[in-house]
Amino acid sequence: MTVMQAIDRLYNERGVRARELRADGHKIIGYFCCFVPDEILAAFDLVPYRIQGSQSEPIDEADALLEPMACPFARSCFNLALKDRYDFLDGFVAPHSCDTIERMYHIWHSNKPTSFDHLINVPHMLGPSSDAFFRNELKYFISRLEDFTGKKLDESKLRDAIRLYNRRRALLREVYDLRRENPPRVSGTEITKLLVAGMGIPAAEHIGLVSAFIDEVKKRPRPAADGLPRIFLWGNEIDDIAFVSLVEECGAHVVMDDLCTGSRFFWQDVSETGDPLEALARRYLCTHCPRSLKPQAGNRREDLENRFGYIREFADGWKAAGAIFYIVRYCDTCELEGPDLKEYLTDLKLPVLMIEDDYSTSTIGQLRTRIQAFLEMIM
Amino acid sequence: MSDPKYYAGLDMGSVSIKAVIVDERGMIASGLIPSGGNYKTVAQKVMDNTLTQAGLSFDRLSGLVITGLGAAGAPFAGRQVSDISCQARGCSLLFPSARTIIDIGGQFTKVAKITPEGRIADFLMSEKCATGSGRFLQVIARILSVPLDEIGPLSLQSEKPVEFSTNCAVFAESETISRISEGAKPADILAGVHRAMAAKVAMLVKRLKLTPDVVLTGGGGQDSGLAPAVGEALKINILVPEFPRLSAAFGAACLAREDHS
Repeated sequence: MTVMQAIDRLYNERGVRARELRADGHKIIGYFCCFVPDEILAAFDLVPYRIQGSQSEPIDEADALLEPMACPFARSCFNLALKDRYDFLDGFVAPHSCDTIERMYHIWHSNKPTSFDHLINVPHMLGPSSDAFFRNELKYFISRLEDFTGKKLDESKLRDAIRLYNRRRALLREVYDLRRENPPRVSGTEITKLLVAGMGIPAAEHIGLVSAFIDEVKKRPRPAADGLPRIFLWGNEIDDIAFVSLVEECGAHVVMDDLCTGSRFFWQDVSETGDPLEALARRYLCTHCPRSLKPQAGNRREDLENRFGYIREFADGWKAAGAIFYIVRYCDTCELEGPDLKEYLTDLKLPVLMIEDDYSTSTIGQLRTRIQAFLEMIM
Repeated sequence: MSDPKYYAGLDMGSVSIKAVIVDERGMIASGLIPSGGNYKTVAQKVMDNTLTQAGLSFDRLSGLVITGLGAAGAPFAGRQVSDISCQARGCSLLFPSARTIIDIGGQFTKVAKITPEGRIADFLMSEKCATGSGRFLQVIARILSVPLDEIGPLSLQSEKPVEFSTNCAVFAESETISRISEGAKPADILAGVHRAMAAKVAMLVKRLKLTPDVVLTGGGGQDSGLAPAVGEALKINILVPEFPRLSAAFGAACLAREDHS
């Protein structure tokens, strides 16, 4: 099996590896979003599994229990759970990333309880008091895991896990560095598959896959200049290739992102020195999900720079000619953050296309006109 | 002297399919047929009719640009361009002073800001909401049993436009029925619908910061009551092309001509 075939298999057959591992006696813990430290689960020899939805399946059973005007990503995940597609989970962890995911905890717990259900309280405002609070929350999470597994946390295993996950982060950043080339030898579609494939397997296995992928890409010949615009993508959960493929089919290279399923979940390392819990608390609070707030910094200009400066570095470093905001409908935090970010990027002369969509591949075709017009505009 | 050259634009919209043929000077033939359930057959028919009108055969065309929601299913080979770019090209040639285009189509309303050269500077589309699109008018006209081309003239006779308390086409449908039962006149209902749509469209235009001159095109431009309502909401005069439903196909044909110049 080539590396692309291995990635395709994991991408297409979600949960396939988790089921195999479970059959071998491992315990699988499903979780939402980028706020749950994989390292802690790994230190208990549990397999972390990032829960995804399905953009190609209509939400049917979940809508018998939920109102349809809630986040379709969360509804889709729950829909799959109701259809027993997550029956391999031994545990379910929801962080209070947003109100939808927080409520999803209770709904999931009521309808599909596992032997380890847990809600992590994640503070919304960044700063020292939140770091301390979140560190305590992680301590409580650990104590519950100790009860569940019947083992005490081994701090050296936690440090090993931190190093392991940092290695994966470094490799993923290396993949993203390859996207700086123009034209890039790796497409945004391939990147999406590589990242989604890694969300359902242990880090050590993903590391092997990512290394092999890098070797494969480096062997590819450099394509001739094609003059196609380079796109930066901002939004929330894109765990299907449909949208990225559409943008690339319309004649563009998707080269960089700030997405929960992209750079957000791996960009920053966890500090390997000092207290590991404090390091984890700091790292996982600083995820760039717009649900987290940075305290007001200076005047409006300075505040925007403080909030979005990292996006300027992404757009500059990857030479983006335009930014597309792809927001899954009803994501209030993204929709309310969008206008400020649009203002900031427009001031930097980076054109922005803001799209709100239904988390469904069937609605994606309708976006073609908008993407084509946007690409024609920035060419 | 070399043979004259001809170029075509094909606009495959959700309500109707349009074709325009241009020569070096301007439009020489056009066609429009409701899209129905088979875009391919209808597109073929529109193209055949338009070619016949121009006295040409298909192989006499030097270029073809295809646009519209159904462009991917066109039965011809041609460059595909988004309808927003085609509208920008077409309207800017028809009205060189145009800086904002409002295209009210069957599925969406699109607002584009354009440069003096006729390129898109920025654009917005109504979200999947029927109130801002031609669909809203179609729904209400059907309840009132008013043919589509009579909506405009009838609405202009209104003396007391109905105030809709909702911005949702689905709720407005039931509200319309209640108003009919209360005795409201069709003219007043249609004028009220125009106002509700105009408010929605004006909001889109303001998001892009109003830049005159403003052109209203698409099926919505065909409705003589809608442009004045949008003009009133934006407090400016709105320009409407002579054939508002053809401007994207016209722009597409002009883009095909530019491809070969």
